[in-house]
Amino acid sequence: MFLEQLINGITLGSIYAIVALGYTLVFGVLDIINMAHGEIFMFGAFVGLLIVSKAGAPLPVAFLGAIVVTAAMGFLLERFALRPLRGRAGASHLASLISTIGVSILLENLAHKLFGAGNHLFETPFAEISFTVGPVTVYLVQVVILLISLLLMAGLALWLSRTRAGKALRATAENLETAGLLGVDTNRMITATVVIASAMGGVAGVLVGMAFNYINNQIGLSMGLKGLAIIIFGGMGSVYGAMAGGLILGLSETFVVAYGSSGYRDAIAFVAIILILLIRPQGLFGQAPAEARR
Amino acid sequence: MPLEWLNPYHLQVASFMLINAILGVSIYVTLSTGQLSLGNAGFMGIGAYTAALLSTQHHVPIPVGILAGSFLSGAAGILVGIPSLRLSGVYLAIATLGFGEVLRAVLINWESLTGGAVGVAAIPQMGRVTLAWASDRGFSPGSLGLQSNQFISLTVFLILLLCTILTVAFFLRLTRSRVGRAYAAIRLDESAAAAAGIPITYYKVLAFSQGAMLSGLAGALFAHSTSFVSPADFTYHRAVEILVFAVFGGSEHIFGPVFGAAFLTVVPEALRSISDYRYILYGLLLVLTMVFRPQGVIDSALMRRFRRSGKGAPA
Repeated sequence: MFLEQLINGITLGSIYAIVALGYTLVFGVLDIINMAHGEIFMFGAFVGLLIVSKAGAPLPVAFLGAIVVTAAMGFLLERFALRPLRGRAGASHLASLISTIGVSILLENLAHKLFGAGNHLFETPFAEISFTVGPVTVYLVQVVILLISLLLMAGLALWLSRTRAGKALRATAENLETAGLLGVDTNRMITATVVIASAMGGVAGVLVGMAFNYINNQIGLSMGLKGLAIIIFGGMGSVYGAMAGGLILGLSETFVVAYGSSGYRDAIAFVAIILILLIRPQGLFGQAPAEARR
Repeated sequence: MPLEWLNPYHLQVASFMLINAILGVSIYVTLSTGQLSLGNAGFMGIGAYTAALLSTQHHVPIPVGILAGSFLSGAAGILVGIPSLRLSGVYLAIATLGFGEVLRAVLINWESLTGGAVGVAAIPQMGRVTLAWASDRGFSPGSLGLQSNQFISLTVFLILLLCTILTVAFFLRLTRSRVGRAYAAIRLDESAAAAAGIPITYYKVLAFSQGAMLSGLAGALFAHSTSFVSPADFTYHRAVEILVFAVFGGSEHIFGPVFGAAFLTVVPEALRSISDYRYILYGLLLVLTMVFRPQGVIDSALMRRFRRSGKGAPA
């Protein structure tokens, strides 16, 4: 029982971590909270669903389709909702937040028009396959989700720390102007960041479809809010904070549902951020105090 | 002859316009110190549920219930506001968003008090109660040439109009007072305001709880106008809607959010075909406003021009 819950928690947590990474990448580079990330993630889930359930194509195609569509959405988001606000005199630091809220409302209701309000069944061909290790039953889906998440996180960490593009991205995150002076095409780095973050959201969307077996046009909002909670909890802009925060939230939700009340499951994330903001406003892994990073 | 043109439907739209205007002012007040609160839907819920439960379960008179709802919501605003002061900008927005979501979870799960997801029904409606009270004293709406449903809708509208005018007048006055100047100073430059000896903490919490109290007032009025509330009335969408009023209308002057609320309530009603796409439109409107006119439709320059043309000669 305990071990199974632990596995459930880690699976859920790894998905949360990937959602949170999408937020943290954009925040790290742009100092912007991309409120539309949850909805881009939701579109990823729907694209995956259409490819797997309606077209009957295999899962890797679903991931590919979701990545292409969400990457394109990320590009459009940056081009039309973020870039026009950048460097503009008189635009307050809340302008981009409000603009991305606008995109999120737009996308959520677009999905409502396109796919309806109900739950859609997300069928994976190997949903029923499970194997027993000692007293514990593990589903193949969980293993796949965990593997993909780990690969994605490791890939991102490697890319950021080892490659030239990753270095340029970190430089841009450190200081936009200086990076520009040193020859980094910062506009391109920003676009790349939003596109990569959105594509990760697309992957996470398909993973959520696999994990929960159903999706609807509200998952963007609920997962998005949790992703936000995680990055505040883990520390804004911190990649490792997002990973750790995701795991902690996934585990605590699973255990509260298993041993407590399921009604408050969705409130846990917010109780956690209210607590962390009171005790350690910069988050678990955050460096600068919240006041200084406005 | 009954006054045919006093259509209850039009009066109802006008009533929602006024409630939304109060909500618009509620976010304007917090924004006027440079704080963005996304928790106003939650505060509205506190006001609405307090008023609704007091009148349905304890038979408290409606005005008392409305006042209690506003003040409880204002008190909650202080409680949320003080810890939130350590936060600024986006952190505050998300923490208040979190507050709204936690509150909604409480409303859904505390079934013994709130009735859970079903909500509270059969809340005494302001217009009906007034009519019953007046009828007991031998009054008949017919003597004014009104049918009773016209009278009910008209009463609700007039009560809301009075509340809205009082609210706007109060905050219009406030902007020209010591408090309003302190708000403006904090919004322009917090450090400079602190250096000039303005107690930042005090004024930020004040603005925050004033906003919360107004949201609570709007919520309580909402409960007694529609006679039904449920957690679904106070979701993230409501918070965004309130934000759109202020952002689209403009948050530099108090008439901005009032205009935004009125305009965005009437247009979808007037153009039925649009109302289906209401939220898609809201989303577009937010992005376009930020890109083309970040200060909103009504800004200080526009208000100055109005005032000048009103007086004839430029000052």
